[in-house]
Amino acid sequence: MTRPAAADAPAAPSPAAAETLVGHGAAEAALREAVAGGRLHHAWLISGPQGIGKATLAYRVARWLLARPPGGTAPDAAGPGLFGDDLPPATAPDGEPASGAGGAHDGLWLAPDDPVFRRVAAGAHPDLCVIDRAWDDKRKALRNEIVVDDVRRAQAHFAATATEGGWRVAIVDAADEMNRSAANALLKTLEEPPRDSVLFLVAHAPGRLLPTIRSRCRALPLKPLSVADTVAVLSRHLPDLDDADRRALAQLSEGAPGRALALHAAGGLDVYRAMVGLLAGLPRLDRVAAHGLARQLSGKAADAAYRTFTRLLTDWIGRMVRTAARGAAPAEIVAGEAAAMTRLAAAAPLDRWVAVWEEAGALIARADRVYLDRGQVILALLETLAATAAGRRA
Amino acid sequence: MKLTIERSSLLKSLGHVHSVVERRNTIPILSNVLLDAADGRLSLTATDLDLAIVEATEAHGIEPGATTVPAHTLYDIVRKLPDGAEVSLSLDDNQRLTIEAGRSSFKLACLPRDDFPSMTDGDLPHNFALPAVELKRLIDKTRFAISTEETRYYLNGIYLHVAQGADGPVLRAVATDGHRLAQADTVVPEGAAEMPGVIVPRKTVGEIRKLIDEFEGDVEVALSDTKIRFGFGQAVVTSKLIDGTFPDYSRVIPKGNEKELSLDCRAFANAVDRVSTISTDKSRAVKLSLGDDSITLSVTSPENGTATEELAAAYQAEAMDIGFNSRYLLDILGQVEGDTVAARLASPDAPTVVTDEADQAALYVLMPMRV
Repeated sequence: MTRPAAADAPAAPSPAAAETLVGHGAAEAALREAVAGGRLHHAWLISGPQGIGKATLAYRVARWLLARPPGGTAPDAAGPGLFGDDLPPATAPDGEPASGAGGAHDGLWLAPDDPVFRRVAAGAHPDLCVIDRAWDDKRKALRNEIVVDDVRRAQAHFAATATEGGWRVAIVDAADEMNRSAANALLKTLEEPPRDSVLFLVAHAPGRLLPTIRSRCRALPLKPLSVADTVAVLSRHLPDLDDADRRALAQLSEGAPGRALALHAAGGLDVYRAMVGLLAGLPRLDRVAAHGLARQLSGKAADAAYRTFTRLLTDWIGRMVRTAARGAAPAEIVAGEAAAMTRLAAAAPLDRWVAVWEEAGALIARADRVYLDRGQVILALLETLAATAAGRRA
Repeated sequence: MKLTIERSSLLKSLGHVHSVVERRNTIPILSNVLLDAADGRLSLTATDLDLAIVEATEAHGIEPGATTVPAHTLYDIVRKLPDGAEVSLSLDDNQRLTIEAGRSSFKLACLPRDDFPSMTDGDLPHNFALPAVELKRLIDKTRFAISTEETRYYLNGIYLHVAQGADGPVLRAVATDGHRLAQADTVVPEGAAEMPGVIVPRKTVGEIRKLIDEFEGDVEVALSDTKIRFGFGQAVVTSKLIDGTFPDYSRVIPKGNEKELSLDCRAFANAVDRVSTISTDKSRAVKLSLGDDSITLSVTSPENGTATEELAAAYQAEAMDIGFNSRYLLDILGQVEGDTVAARLASPDAPTVVTDEADQAALYVLMPMRV
């Protein structure tokens, strides 16, 4: 049975099969250093916004550890060298963009035809256990959270010896999807770590984790990528896209290539252009276009597009408030955007816009909870914006 | 890859390996079986990442190669082919395996062998040969006591180690779940004296137990402190071990129990089975009232009523009442080979030792229940 991709899963290639990682050289160096020094902490909390490569980093370091000869820290029988230990000679693939500290060669790169790489990508490495949301056979969907049974798999994994005699690795992707009992079950493993084992917790919002979990992990916060780095990632995965679109996606994703790819897959750029077109007309709302958009984004099949739109809209208001508060010139991601942003920001006091941003977030969350009609949600959001732009309270 | 193989031998080998593959698998490659043709043989490998079974079987017309196909689908196909058919397998360039027998033809989608998990043997420094009947005995006499409780994961297997028996070193298997303990000894095979104590996981025990039934001769055992391998001629099982410390079980085997009871094993088992019919609660407790050369079994259930049965037994010590879980008693009595079972008791709240007249190398400890 193959598991279909979740609707909200990033459209990016699976992090288990990603060969390269861009922009996190410092984090890779920190991990390498910890291994070389023989004091790899048993649990790492890799945090940062969704789509910037946290899971890719986790798989990358997992592969690198699993490909090392058994015996924990020493790369060979002679023990660690005086000058730190060297990787077996590996050549980075051509066109590999330099990733922070000195390029992929110094990072945690492993050749994609390496047996370890192949098995990890296929989900079939006996010494790697990945904890993610499980498939629910009854509902025919991915579960909304990681439950305690999933975490118990990790416990069983660590209770068995390593097949290849080296490290045992578990990746929790994502740790903030664990429910309370799952988190408590994981705590036991974190508190009494078995030998030669390491746990990578991927967290989009580490603040949502239990403080007891946070305190037992070494924090490894990742930063969003620069626009140039994001464009570089996009040009590898979307070689056919034109440069302007790539750049727009990179800017919209706020430094998260995974999100940029998901946006592209959901037709995000077209939705965004339609949205900016509507916003540029405010305070007069083009009702025909608004209703057309609402119809297009409601319904079960348009789930991804709806989520993309609501996120883009709230992000747009947020960006407008931020640029206005700083007095900066708004970015022109698509044509006509900057002008619209400047005009709308001037149409109502900033605190009013902040309130609108909050209301919008609350409405979208409520719509999910009580299954409000999505078309109506979109219309209500646009009407609120139109009213605010006209200087009225909605 | 290309080969021809007799349907019955392919079915037999697949039958051995396919049971390891879990039916519900979210990872496609793990539902597959690895087919590797080389040197006049087809070897089939199946794994669940904790253990792997490799079975080799004769084939002819071989062009070497390897691929993986869905295990249960292949098994079902081969099972439904007519008996005595010659099955030909061939892999084409598009990674599809064609299976032909008579007028039937199947094409299966394959996954590359490089994605298949390897349970590489690595270095297994301790090697010895154990007669299949002895391995079977060690497993049967202890397996029922393996714990299923996940929190004490180090009890989820059989502890296989070299211990000091009454007359020198013995190879000993021990399993316990905290309520009962089973221990069976055998002579230390050559090459096993230095082996580390290992805990063989429950699932592995089940798989090797299935293979023993069809096998005679010596089982080749090889192990390190992280892995164990059992070789049954053409079939080889490699497994992870449980990474934990087995508790010091010798402390819980009472040495000073002086009240000796012995009675007919089958009659006792039947009586326990009969009286426990009436019990409804989960514990299924049965009370044993020991008197002068007799034993009275009784069960009282608040809903159903009562049941008693009296048996003749050899018992000379002072009279006492003691309760046991009837299921645990029956598990132990089921493993006793002799006609007579002997028990050494101390008091109604202390563990009881049960031994088998016909097999002095096996021993069971059972905790009583309050009744």
